[in-house]
Amino acid sequence: MRGAKTILVVTALAWGAGAARAETVNAPAAPAAGKAGPAPGKAGKTTGKVKGMRTVFVPSPMSPLVALRVFFHVGSADDPAGKEGLAALTSDVMGQGGTRKRTYAEVLDALYPLAAKIQVIGDVESIVFEGTVHRDNVAAFADLLAEQILEPRFADEDFTRQRQNALDYVTKSLRGNDDEELGKHALRDMLYPGHPYAHPTPGTAGGLGAITLDDVKKFYAAHFSRDRMIVGVAGGYPEGFAEAFAARFATLPATGAPMPKLPKPKAHQGADVLIVEKEARADAISLGYPLSITRADPDFYPLTVARSYLGEHRTFNGVLMNRLRGDRGLNYGDYAYVENFIQDGWSTFPHPNVPRRQQHFEIWLRPVPPANALFALRGAVHYTRQLIEKGIPEEGFESTRRFLLNYADLWTQDVSRRLGYAIDAVIYGKDLVAELKARLPKMTKADVDRAVKKHLQLDHFSVAIVSDKAADLKAQLIEGKPTPITYDTAGTPAAILEEDKLIEKEALPISAQNVRVVPAAQMFEK
Amino acid sequence: MRPFLNVLSPGAALACLLALPAGARAATPAAPATAGAAAKPAPASAPAKTPSVPSQETTMKKSGEAFPFPVDEKVFPNGLRAYVVHYDSPGLVAYYSVVRTGSRNEVEPGKSGFAHFFEHMMFRGTDKYSQEAYNDVLKQMGADSNAYTSEDLTVYHILAGKTALPRIVEIEADRFQHLKYSEPDFEKEARAVLGEYNKGASNPLQKMFEALYDNAFVSHTYKHTTIGFLKDIEAMPQQFAYSRQFFDRYYRPDNVTLLVVGDVDTAEAWKLIEDAYGGWKVGPPRPVVPPEPAQAKEKTAALGWKGATLPQLLVGYHTPGFSTTNVDLPALDVLAELVFAERAPLYRKLVITEQKVESISGSNDAHVDPNLFTILARVKKADDLPYVEKTVSAELARVAHDGVDEKTLAEVLSHVKYAFAAQLATADKTANVAAQFVALTGRLDAINAYFSLYDKVTTADVKRVAAKYFQATNRTTVTLQADR
Repeated sequence: MRGAKTILVVTALAWGAGAARAETVNAPAAPAAGKAGPAPGKAGKTTGKVKGMRTVFVPSPMSPLVALRVFFHVGSADDPAGKEGLAALTSDVMGQGGTRKRTYAEVLDALYPLAAKIQVIGDVESIVFEGTVHRDNVAAFADLLAEQILEPRFADEDFTRQRQNALDYVTKSLRGNDDEELGKHALRDMLYPGHPYAHPTPGTAGGLGAITLDDVKKFYAAHFSRDRMIVGVAGGYPEGFAEAFAARFATLPATGAPMPKLPKPKAHQGADVLIVEKEARADAISLGYPLSITRADPDFYPLTVARSYLGEHRTFNGVLMNRLRGDRGLNYGDYAYVENFIQDGWSTFPHPNVPRRQQHFEIWLRPVPPANALFALRGAVHYTRQLIEKGIPEEGFESTRRFLLNYADLWTQDVSRRLGYAIDAVIYGKDLVAELKARLPKMTKADVDRAVKKHLQLDHFSVAIVSDKAADLKAQLIEGKPTPITYDTAGTPAAILEEDKLIEKEALPISAQNVRVVPAAQMFEK
Repeated sequence: MRPFLNVLSPGAALACLLALPAGARAATPAAPATAGAAAKPAPASAPAKTPSVPSQETTMKKSGEAFPFPVDEKVFPNGLRAYVVHYDSPGLVAYYSVVRTGSRNEVEPGKSGFAHFFEHMMFRGTDKYSQEAYNDVLKQMGADSNAYTSEDLTVYHILAGKTALPRIVEIEADRFQHLKYSEPDFEKEARAVLGEYNKGASNPLQKMFEALYDNAFVSHTYKHTTIGFLKDIEAMPQQFAYSRQFFDRYYRPDNVTLLVVGDVDTAEAWKLIEDAYGGWKVGPPRPVVPPEPAQAKEKTAALGWKGATLPQLLVGYHTPGFSTTNVDLPALDVLAELVFAERAPLYRKLVITEQKVESISGSNDAHVDPNLFTILARVKKADDLPYVEKTVSAELARVAHDGVDEKTLAEVLSHVKYAFAAQLATADKTANVAAQFVALTGRLDAINAYFSLYDKVTTADVKRVAAKYFQATNRTTVTLQADR
């Protein structure tokens, strides 16, 4: 488990096949072309409890696919001090390791004919084992998934391999192979100093180095319990399958270690800046601060409208995207979030099942050429300040509200995502899509402005910048002088040039003692 | 042969780096390739066929095949081909405009990356719908809309409620015929593309794939990746005039195919398309893509990396272009599974038993012209790079010598069948799969035609292709490790 981003790399896209080729092979039934399929059960959603475990079943009788999600309210927030990475490593050894009956090689052998993968996705308070399989193969796939959770082998070779992979991820890939992800992880550490959310979910170099196989076994025994668990099944599964699948987990302990208490995140004085120094063509920038609300809070929904207006992920709707990229060509993309969002930059829709009890506001500026990095940062602050001080424009409110009313439907297109959102609804006590559908028609601009005033601010926040011009950047930040944009393109409209003059001197609450430079090679060490 | 971007194992933290977001999924590190071992030059691209085509309409309603959905097809008088795919997605429709032009068509020197850049420009407006107005229309629909470019295609896609279809057809037909942007907008967008390059530059794979194709190809345009050479990207702001020529050349009805997938009424779709695209004219002949000569000797490149990274090995072997008649292609797909699947002996040895490799993958991605079978391994220690390289070659040689048994072949075929079915999980995903085949051949029935080739793959074929293509003289090897 390396956090949503690295785990959710697209899985095999192999294709081909000739149904007539081998009689020993069952041809898959036609995917939902409209009328096919044994169609057990009724469409809809049911939530319940089996032996203390919460369950979510979302039948889609027409679907040839079945999605399984086994969720645990366990994550890196449970890592003991000095063993950072233990939760993730434990789930890795489970989900990418052997079982009592089979070595890992035998697990892979058994999975192969099913053309399905067991994926483990984790975050600070979530670990989900999930996979989607053709209904022809659901029984065999369910056996393998259940085995990995109920009877992990915890073999030395699995532990050694997965711990080394985690160490390599933190010390090689994160430090040296993706500046955007490095910036986001650096920001997260800054948002939560001394807090269970602080370190990267995959762990730190020091923490991973200290973990033993015995630690993994003990962590498993103490945390993978029914009270922290939700079993989800969706799609075209056979009658009785979902209930039977959930019942298999009754052998897990009824209760485990309590979830850690979360302190209130510490507020910084002014802006806290970390410059991660490394070779880079352009500067990846992330800024943000903790919020006091989640989906469970009514204010989350008007704040979602403000977020979408400011920077809907991977669309051309947001102010940040249009003003910084569209008008000025500063970079490739600029987005805003009111929930944690670390996943592949090219992916569009937020992954389900990464719930948090505490969330944060974040702006992500994709890499900007060094000469314009501080201008871009000031631009992001400028447009956010406009939103806070002037409120959302009436037209922007109406178009964003209408957009979200329809767009939210796209978040649950396939059986796995539908199941994931249904599980999230159980966790938060509110179904994100249903809440938006219910609230948006009644929402007013005043609701959004009030939520923005209450929850967004620019007095204290954190900024992480990945740059190879760290000393220059630090000096510029401390001096606080205007940082005019440098255009190497012609024909910038006069109105933009006028606005540039405001942005270049946008005030940043930065003082010398709050700007740090850390070489990438030292990040996530402890 | 996989019609998509290369797919890397979850262990490769930054696998899909080049899959471009927002404006594009350009810069696919996927393979280009040449006629190499095929020993004959790659077929040149056909010049544009511009004569009008009589209107034809056919209905194919087949089920139980690899692509099992009812399909309606129509070719309009101006050569525009459109497909309606009936998919059970109540209330939803995916609308794909597939331009059969990608970085493969960047034949002029200094223009690498232009197909992808132009894809960005397609969002810059027309007289009727400015950029803002176009975005507003999509926003009102609550649509998911984007585009991407690869070596062989540029795809524009919209997913929205079915009631939005008339408006979607209107705005898409408008920009495909009447795109109009200012020079300042053009220059600003060129810098967004540079931003996209910069974004990928922190991942070693971008550098490795650039080196692989640059070395493996001599004359074919697969020599450059879809994002293009940096020097060409930096010069893009000066290419305004060329951009109009590019639009005039490639954004023509006989070079575009429409896919309407989901909850769609065919008669309504045909009427909307006829009305909106009927006035679109065919254009001038399009340039021929230069063929690639056979590779005569092994090529290698050793790259350094400033900063932390796992050492990596990337190998490409030239393989044939896409075809629905050449059984070598599905045989190579089978070989990829046999040698590089996670259950394969090679994975067991290197990843599970010896633990010298974090991840390894191999695939033969589908392309219009001959391209590469690519192999990528993330190795734990630089000193092991030669060992891993040698072990991979030895395993390919073993298959060439020993072949494969019938049972294993049947298991592989079952696997690919179920894996393909899983790709058709939504209307949008189905449209995306269809777009790849349309780009390769112009026709949607290429899917089932290609799949029927699997019926013909024998154990002897697998053994034969292993011997035929995986020779040292047909190989380009790129290694990368952190600077010491």
